[in-house]
Amino acid sequence: MALSLPVLAGSSNRKEVLAGLPVVHSTDVDTMRTQGEQRFRTNCGRCHAAPQKFPPRAMATVLRHMRVRATITDQDMRLVLFYMTQ
Amino acid sequence: MPCQYEKPRFPRRWRTLLPRLVGLLLLQFFSPARGHTQTAAQEKPVPILSGTVGVLPGITAGQTLLDVQFNPVLLVPLGERWLLESRGEFEGEFQRAPGARSFGGPVNKHLDYLQADYIANPYLTVTAGRFLTPFGIFNERLYPMWIRALQPDPLILRIATATSDGAMLRGGFPVSVRATFNYAAYVSVPSVGLEGVESERHVGGRAGFFFPGPRLEVGGSWQKALQDTRKNSVGLHVAWQPREVPLSLHSEFVRSDQGSGYWIEGAYRLSQARFWEKAMRRTEVVARGQQYFGGNLGADAAQSLGLPGVNTREADFGMNYFLKDGLKSVVSYGRQFSSAGNFNQWTFGIAYRFLIPLGRESHQ
Repeated sequence: MALSLPVLAGSSNRKEVLAGLPVVHSTDVDTMRTQGEQRFRTNCGRCHAAPQKFPPRAMATVLRHMRVRATITDQDMRLVLFYMTQ
Repeated sequence: MPCQYEKPRFPRRWRTLLPRLVGLLLLQFFSPARGHTQTAAQEKPVPILSGTVGVLPGITAGQTLLDVQFNPVLLVPLGERWLLESRGEFEGEFQRAPGARSFGGPVNKHLDYLQADYIANPYLTVTAGRFLTPFGIFNERLYPMWIRALQPDPLILRIATATSDGAMLRGGFPVSVRATFNYAAYVSVPSVGLEGVESERHVGGRAGFFFPGPRLEVGGSWQKALQDTRKNSVGLHVAWQPREVPLSLHSEFVRSDQGSGYWIEGAYRLSQARFWEKAMRRTEVVARGQQYFGGNLGADAAQSLGLPGVNTREADFGMNYFLKDGLKSVVSYGRQFSSAGNFNQWTFGIAYRFLIPLGRESHQ
């Protein structure tokens, strides 16, 4: 049985404990969150100061608007949306 | 002697599976990131009403002005790929008449854009309707009051940025791990002839490369008028946010029949200051230098387009204080130099960006 542990963000100790388990997706989520923050600062910071996080459905609309307005890439939009809806 | 406690009679496989299942359930319950993963992927965008309100008193060439602006933005997403978006501009430019105690003046109403966007694929978005002309970066990206670092417009803003009515193809995609490419190509048809929705006939495009590593964007714009002079306009733009310091640099250059010029602007957040840290983090100082060279238009024609009538230089300095997200107070001083006369330009005020979801904030 492949045990799925989707999210265990955080300390290195915790990651060491989990290192022996078959599948750990926490790094995926951590990576997405980190990349989302980087893309957010890189793309959004080109024009304006960092705004606060809005409710997820509003954020989805804002990101669709910014994808068109600022011609940010599809991948960047998805990662920024992921980060901004945490 | 018989054993006092009987050994539990769970099958052996349950003894190994049960703790794992319980652990898995607990992890599901206490794992907010997974919940948000699903949220981010599943949330349907909701229509929103956003925009900016600003009150900007100022003194230009000794004349006291009161500039009041309201710029509502409506965004309506439809399905997975569509977005309807619109922005209106209501701007009151009030002056105090000689001897009068109150301010009075016209209120200009203008439809900045009303467009339908269709996201065809990761590389292409098709836009139709009235849209902001993508020439340079200020008109499309930096214009809103809550975004711009200095409230006075750049001298060359009106060159090749007349509103477009037509169709546009645009998009952005990575060309390597170190660069992304963005583009826009458009055609605008003649004005529909309604007051407040004038446009002109032209074609053009903009292309640029963005390098995420050094946070540098460079690009160029081109536009050909298909009426009157049928002349070409070309522009260059640069945006740079170095990683080492909280500095944001923007610059544009344009050359056209209507005139030529450039501006360069730097905005520096005082977040690295070692005193009054809380206040300094919210403070931004700005400087802009710019120059305009008259083109083949007469002075009156240039001024009717919102351009200076003669060759002009201007230097501006300002400070913004971010009171909270979307709310900032501004102050700036500029001095303009030209053969028509030199004068000072003071601007004070406050700008607020609002955002109101027009629907349930979560559909769960």
